[in-house]
Order: sequence, then C-alpha cells, then structure tokens
Amino acid sequence: MPIRIRLDELLMARRMSLAELADRTGVSTANLTVLKSGEAQAIRFTTLDALCRELGCAPGELLAYEP
Amino acid sequence: MRALGPGSVSSFLKMVLDIVHVGLLVGVAAVGFMAFVDLLFTVNPALLDNVQISDRDQLIQRGPVLLAGLLAAGVYMAGVLVIIGALRRIFATLTVGDPFRPDNVGRLRLIALMLAILELGRYALWLVSAWLPAVHHVRPSFGLTAWFSVLVVLVLAEVFREGARLRREAELTI
Repeated sequence: MPIRIRLDELLMARRMSLAELADRTGVSTANLTVLKSGEAQAIRFTTLDALCRELGCAPGELLAYEP
Repeated sequence: MRALGPGSVSSFLKMVLDIVHVGLLVGVAAVGFMAFVDLLFTVNPALLDNVQISDRDQLIQRGPVLLAGLLAAGVYMAGVLVIIGALRRIFATLTVGDPFRPDNVGRLRLIALMLAILELGRYALWLVSAWLPAVHHVRPSFGLTAWFSVLVVLVLAEVFREGARLRREAELTI
C-alpha cells in the first residue's frame, strides 16, 4: 500500500517511545506496531485523533503517500 | 436462546453431530468387517464348510454381489462421515462464537463436493443395478433437492469467505 504511517519519525522527533504513546493514547502497543509496520488495512478517526493529539501533529504529517 | 457460543444451540448440535460421527465410524467399521468376511468366503468357499447355515450354496453364489453391495454401502457411509466430520469442525467454531474462520470456507466446499459425489454415486448405483441381471433393481428417483443443496452450500461457502475477509479487515483496523 502506498500510504505509510510516519510514526517512527514523529516519535523520534518527540523523543517518545512506542510504549509511552500507547499509554497516552490508549491504543495497544501491538496495534501501534501493526500501524508502524504498514500491515494495517484501515485507521479509525478516533485512533487518528488520539495519535495527532498526543504527537501534536496534523493527520497530513502522520500519513505519507509514497506511490 | 443463543445461536452461537458455549451452551447455545450450536453446542447442542455439535454434541448431536459428535454422536452421529461415532455411530457412523462404528457403522463403517462394521461394514468393512462384513465385507472382509464376505471376501474371505468368496475367495475360499471351503471356509464355509465348518459353518452351519441353511442356504450355503446361495450365499457362495451371491458372495461377489453381496461384497459389491457392502463396499458400496461402506463408501456411501464414508462419504457421509466426511460430511459429518466437516460439519462437526464448523460447529466447533460456532460453539466458540467464531464462525468466520478461513478454514470453514474449505470445509463447506468439501461438504458441497461430497454431496455432489454421493448424488453421482447414487446415479452410478442405478446404472449398475439396471445393468446386472441378478441384482435387485434400485428404483431411480431424480430430484433437484440434492443439487439445490450443493448450490446452497457453495453459496454459503462464499458467504463465509466474505465473512472471513471482513473479519481480517476488522482485525487490521486500528
């Protein structure tokens, strides 16, 4: 899929771990790993909202289109 | 009354299928044993010398036909056993409340295939009984019910395939 979640870059820029993000957003580490690895088929608006809120970014910064 | 999960109608039906499965296993084994005994007497009629039976000659004469009949019954029962076995495994997934497993698609297709094979086997039996002069003729009865069942099960298999796909998609929705 050409859509990629730029979770690694955003976490690194904020010096935040995946476990910490999981703790803050309420999304499990396993699900965040699925998102990171690009295996996810879809993302809920509630998940996107939680990720953007905790990472302090817009959805456009989180999602990248790489055809 | 719940349809899925532990203690539901599905679990009751699973129990019934388990009992039928065991009964069929015993039946197939019994038919196999009888066919084996008949084969022994057909190959070596002298074995019947020590057995006290009234119509010995007739039994020897009809041995091969009896053997063929027993084998046909055994194969038919084995086919039903395969169907019941697949149904048992499907109902096991219903009992745990998880029907849309990808395995169930293959099981339903197997059931449809076996239903078709059994129906074709029935037609073959009519042909053979009509062809052999000394055999009691089986009356042919062509019905659309069996073929309708095959199609319904094939459609159900596709429904389950779509269900399994949606489940996988839901699992990967974060």
